Amino acid sequence: MNTVISETVHSALADYLTVLAKEARKLIVDMAATPTGCHIGGSLSVIDLLLSVYAKYGSDQNNAIVLSKGHSAAALYATLYLHGVIEENPAVSYGRDGSLFTGHPNHKIAGIPFATGSLGHGVSYAAGWALGQKMKGENGLGVAIGGDGEMQEGLCWETAQVVQAKSISNFIYIVDCNGGQNDGLISDISPFHNLRKMFEAFGFRVKDIDGHDFNQILSAIEPDPEKPLAVLARTIKGKGIKAIEGNPNCHYAKIPERYSNKWKRGLE
Amino acid sequence: MNFSGREAYKAELAELACDNEKIVCLEADLGGKKHVFQQKHPDRFLNLGIAEAAGIDMAAGLAEGGFTPFFSTFAPFAALRSAESIKLAMGYMGKNIKIAAAYGGVSGGWFGTTHHCLEDIAVLQSFQNVRIVCPHGEEETRKVVREAATSPEPYYIRLSRNEVFQSLDRNPNSSCREIVYQGNEQGVSPLCVISVGEQASELCKQIVEEYPSIIHAHVVYVDSVSLKSYVEELRTISDRFLVVEEHRATGGTASYLSLLLPECKVYSHDCGEKWPSYGGNHTDVLRYLGFGLQELKQQITDIIGEKNDF
Repeated sequence: MNTVISETVHSALADYLTVLAKEARKLIVDMAATPTGCHIGGSLSVIDLLLSVYAKYGSDQNNAIVLSKGHSAAALYATLYLHGVIEENPAVSYGRDGSLFTGHPNHKIAGIPFATGSLGHGVSYAAGWALGQKMKGENGLGVAIGGDGEMQEGLCWETAQVVQAKSISNFIYIVDCNGGQNDGLISDISPFHNLRKMFEAFGFRVKDIDGHDFNQILSAIEPDPEKPLAVLARTIKGKGIKAIEGNPNCHYAKIPERYSNKWKRGLE
Repeated sequence: MNFSGREAYKAELAELACDNEKIVCLEADLGGKKHVFQQKHPDRFLNLGIAEAAGIDMAAGLAEGGFTPFFSTFAPFAALRSAESIKLAMGYMGKNIKIAAAYGGVSGGWFGTTHHCLEDIAVLQSFQNVRIVCPHGEEETRKVVREAATSPEPYYIRLSRNEVFQSLDRNPNSSCREIVYQGNEQGVSPLCVISVGEQASELCKQIVEEYPSIIHAHVVYVDSVSLKSYVEELRTISDRFLVVEEHRATGGTASYLSLLLPECKVYSHDCGEKWPSYGGNHTDVLRYLGFGLQELKQQITDIIGEKNDF
């Protein structure tokens, strides 16, 4: 696909995703308004990334897409629903007795190849999938969507080491850099001085983008034929809901229904 | 009888891979140089380096892609360092991964405590859905590897270091899921010794030679599902069992069998509670831990009296 056509297709897709993202954010707010609540802050920061990755790569069975920052399950369920992978509206039964829509991704749900939530594992799984594709001579990708806080886990770097050692260039690692983690700001807890250089040191091609700009996202998640790709997506925790945007305390929330109605109206 | 368990594993896997293109051999820097699988199938041999947890998760991705990954490293690193990956990928999600864990128990001898593993069966038993197998000798190890390769279930295969043993005779057409018996041909015994693993099997072979009334039941699969499948058969043999296993008592095979056989008495000959802090060979370290023939005989005497009494 040449660059002009690619940009045209991306532009049309970006317009579509912009509409979809509003619906997805409403679903996430609905899940935050259930009796259990959800990890709303990270779900709202990662949702644009998830929608883009599933739109671009979700229909090819040779690809594996894994949300490694599993606490953003609400965003994943919304993505699968809006992309037609699952038929049931996840917000209806989310977190309830007997529902498969648990607080962290459940591999018994269609479109979820690996149960995540314990951080780091989804990154390794996606790398293993990519390795298998490479060994079979297929063109499939392993795509992991993780968090910047998650990168404090040694397992992420253990995987990066293997990825560069085995030249797994069909592996894409997208990092939702929202700057927050459970107990507050990453910068207050265990900051990264230069994530780009860290990935580059592990042999990755690195792209640094606005994680809420669909044109940038769609352009950035093209695999590099020579190297594994790391996409540092700069995002905002709670993005789209003015009341919580950028507030690290919105990591997890259970909100009253009146808030959800107001917040959803704000998305229109 | 030429190979130790871990060498038999490599040799058998390399042979199986000639006809099974799905088999992939993963190592974590402890497979040794001139690995037979690497020589025969270099395109399906991957030394991932010292990355045990990532190795299991990556194996899950390979399994989902249609491969049958065999991942090997030493037991303490496989079972404990990768424990969460095993729990999730193999236990909870049932990914078709096979682990071959050398240096099980204290077979590392002088290597020291970091390289011993007396806790793996307890840890693995608590992860439901993973088959735990402890073969004895080359033939049984080869058979277990073949069974693992054709099964869709996750496996943990516990191997020792370099010692070479003669496997017990078994019907060549039987599965290693079947118990092999030695000793008292009456079929009923005042005590049945149950062996798990190589050292235990060697001890129990000697016991039935000296105690004609005792039955030796050799079991290879010791995960909770397999143990449940044995209990009806075991009940017909005795109401007293002494499980001999190179492991801690806590979480060992005896502890779960005692729950499955509440009407019976189940004893354990195990490695006790001490840390294996000293050097020596495999047998030396076992002796320090109270695991050996003299100690086992004493325990049998304590349970059923002097051997001339029954």
